[in-house]
Amino acid sequence: MDLTPEPNQDDEAVGHLSFDPKGVLDAEDGAVLTRLARAVGAVDPVPEGLVERSLFAITLAGLEADMMEAVYLDAPLAGVRGAAAAARADDAAPAEAKTITFTHDSLTVMITLSPSAGGRVRIDGWAAPAAGLDVELHRPGVDVVTTASDEDGRFAFDSVERGRASLVVRRTDGGGGAVSTPIIEL
Amino acid sequence: MTGSREALPDVDGSGLTLGDRAAIALTEYRAGNHQALGDLVREATPLLWHTVRAQGVDRDAADDVVQSTWVALVRHAESIAEPKAVLKWLLVTAKRAAWEAVRKHRDDEKRRTELPDDSPEHPMALPANDPPPDAEVLRDERDRILWTSLQKLPGRCQELLRLVSLADRPDYRYISAAIGMPMGSIGSTRGRCLAKLRTILDEQGDFSWT
Repeated sequence: MDLTPEPNQDDEAVGHLSFDPKGVLDAEDGAVLTRLARAVGAVDPVPEGLVERSLFAITLAGLEADMMEAVYLDAPLAGVRGAAAAARADDAAPAEAKTITFTHDSLTVMITLSPSAGGRVRIDGWAAPAAGLDVELHRPGVDVVTTASDEDGRFAFDSVERGRASLVVRRTDGGGGAVSTPIIEL
Repeated sequence: MTGSREALPDVDGSGLTLGDRAAIALTEYRAGNHQALGDLVREATPLLWHTVRAQGVDRDAADDVVQSTWVALVRHAESIAEPKAVLKWLLVTAKRAAWEAVRKHRDDEKRRTELPDDSPEHPMALPANDPPPDAEVLRDERDRILWTSLQKLPGRCQELLRLVSLADRPDYRYISAAIGMPMGSIGSTRGRCLAKLRTILDEQGDFSWT
């Protein structure tokens, strides 16, 4: 049922006459809330890319791989923040290699990110305990790239474009489930 | 006056509200169609962002909390009993995760307060509250009047109205319920917080808000 007063020629009169604390939303309520929404967005804007990061996270969640935890061996100040936030904070020094360790139950994956030609990134990884692993590199809007580890659990992606990514690791023999890293910023 | 209808896109009941679209997105997702959920993420992320930020979570942590809220929705897609309540579910989940983030941050700070130069006289500041919202970015005079008027309301009213403004108006009740504020007077779709704000605004002078 529509109890909203029709916008009238005499807007001031309608706006004030219709202002009833127990009443339904009137046109001015709507205008105030619309203006408030703009102000809220201006004062504390949603971070750029949060929607894309969320969409990517949803896609990864749909794979139903168990999430690994990031452990910061070389960046203790990263504290309780997530991997994505920690990686963002490191953006200021992209020329340096960076190591992140991920753990899940008995599996530990350590990756080192280092600069590669053309502003791209090289990923060297090592998984323990050593086993044959299929490692998938997931990125938003890009086809999945897969590589296999050697018998020592070492793997590499030579040249990857910068941006958000997640690794999904499965045992080649099919034992255990898939595990994925949190989203990292390459 | 032009713009009045634009300001009230859904009050006439003919349009779907954010709450409706959230319910549809979940139903579609369960059926294997992920498009509607993607649209919902685009539309409702600002609402989740400000829900989390209102709990006193810093921007980096809030970024992670919003993402994990969406992930939780996908993980629980099959077990959410009432698709109609999915908007409320999202808000409650985001809020709980935000509290958890604040708690973790406090524990972290507590460990750091053992440093020698911390004393009870100089306690570590806890990021329990947002930094004061910076009204400087608001250039329009009416925006500033609105913002300063909002600050005169009780804290929970401020939170409610900030969030309600980001959803569709009929979703007022989902949002009130999600942040633990019942709607108040029966039959009122406006609620007391908005009524209070309008009273304060009216005291500021004879502005037209439409």
